[in-house]
Amino acid sequence: MTKSMQQHSSLSTKLGLTLLFCLLGACTASTITISGSFPSPLVRKLPLTVGVYYPDELKNYSFIEFDDNTGKDQYIIQSGTSQVELFNTLLPALFQNVVMLDSLDNVQSNTSLDAVFVPAIEEFQLGLPAKTRLNVYEIWVKYNMRLSNANGEYIADWVMTAYGKAPEETFQSVDSGVQDAATVAMRDLAASFTIGFSGIPEVNEWLKDNDYITE
Amino acid sequence: MNIKNTKNFYGLLLSLIALSLTACTTTEIDEFRQGATHISSEERIVILGRRQNNNYETEGSFVQCVANTVSSGQDGIEVMAEQEFLDAMFPFFEPRTAPMRTSHLQELMTLEVAAQKIEEFGIEYIIWLDGFTERSEGGGSMSCVIGPGGGGCFGFGTWTDDSNFEAEVWDLDTLESVGSISTDSNGQSYMPAIVIPIPLIARVEANACNGLGNQLKQFIKGS
Repeated sequence: MTKSMQQHSSLSTKLGLTLLFCLLGACTASTITISGSFPSPLVRKLPLTVGVYYPDELKNYSFIEFDDNTGKDQYIIQSGTSQVELFNTLLPALFQNVVMLDSLDNVQSNTSLDAVFVPAIEEFQLGLPAKTRLNVYEIWVKYNMRLSNANGEYIADWVMTAYGKAPEETFQSVDSGVQDAATVAMRDLAASFTIGFSGIPEVNEWLKDNDYITE
Repeated sequence: MNIKNTKNFYGLLLSLIALSLTACTTTEIDEFRQGATHISSEERIVILGRRQNNNYETEGSFVQCVANTVSSGQDGIEVMAEQEFLDAMFPFFEPRTAPMRTSHLQELMTLEVAAQKIEEFGIEYIIWLDGFTERSEGGGSMSCVIGPGGGGCFGFGTWTDDSNFEAEVWDLDTLESVGSISTDSNGQSYMPAIVIPIPLIARVEANACNGLGNQLKQFIKGS
């Protein structure tokens, strides 16, 4: 065998091995970016001007699902953009005026604000059919909601959970199953938030004390 | 016989064989009426799937199939698309917030925004579909081989599908339930394989959909 033939053979072997590793899924974790549009809730607006601040942790939120066998990243679920989109649809439907805040530093100088709302994700869980042996994709999210007045004084701090599931379908990709479950979970949060906001005991008391609602 | 005619003949023969090779299905439909029903040509209905159960949820494709059956034909009833209704009525018909009983519906209709929207859509009846198709009693075995000279399968497989669905009809004028229709459809599918697997599929869910859809149409029209 000539030197050039040996080089060619070595290159082919390397290329073949690289392709084999890639095919075996050893290259990278799959990134699933959650996207979707959400309907605006059908409710009467509360007569409030609310400042909204999205922490960077929420805006860039991503969850990593690890492979049980290798311990390596298997799926990276990026949901920050859709979380912001969800609140951007939900809050203007619920409150008379919504003011987006870049930071919480100068909130006190904004005298037009009745309250400041800060949502955050505390926990995220993913259930894949391949792992749970159930024929559904499941997503469970625990949120922390904080409402304070413009002076930074606490009004309410409460936890909300959202759950979404989507049936596994034939020839469906994991990406599509996770997307569907996430959309259901985020709609679930929006529904509970819309219906339950005025009913949160501390919020209800504050709304009544300030004559924003009568009962 | 020329080549083109021969091809057509075999194509027709294969189609006929394929059509005749469907396994048998038994469908039973029960109707329970509690009140009178009527619908005019300006009014429409919406068919919604129940999705609050932990272990199953009514498939969107089944809801769509029943809606297609109800709206098809000369005697068809106009059906509002499920997703359009859910989005427009958001957040009142989500899995966690949807009214489970007519008393909850009565409560919901006290909200002006919800009642106005229903009125605007001209919806006369809400139909709740609840159920699922279960596959069980699988049996048989099949093995397939592939080699340089070709491949093939040999064996026999069988399974049973059982579809159970119930449709509850809510009248939006009286805010009461006017009745329900349930369907139980089951059938056994077979898959014999001598070189090529030949699926003899029992169209259980499709039969449940057609039976339920046609019965619903008659029920709502009051006939």
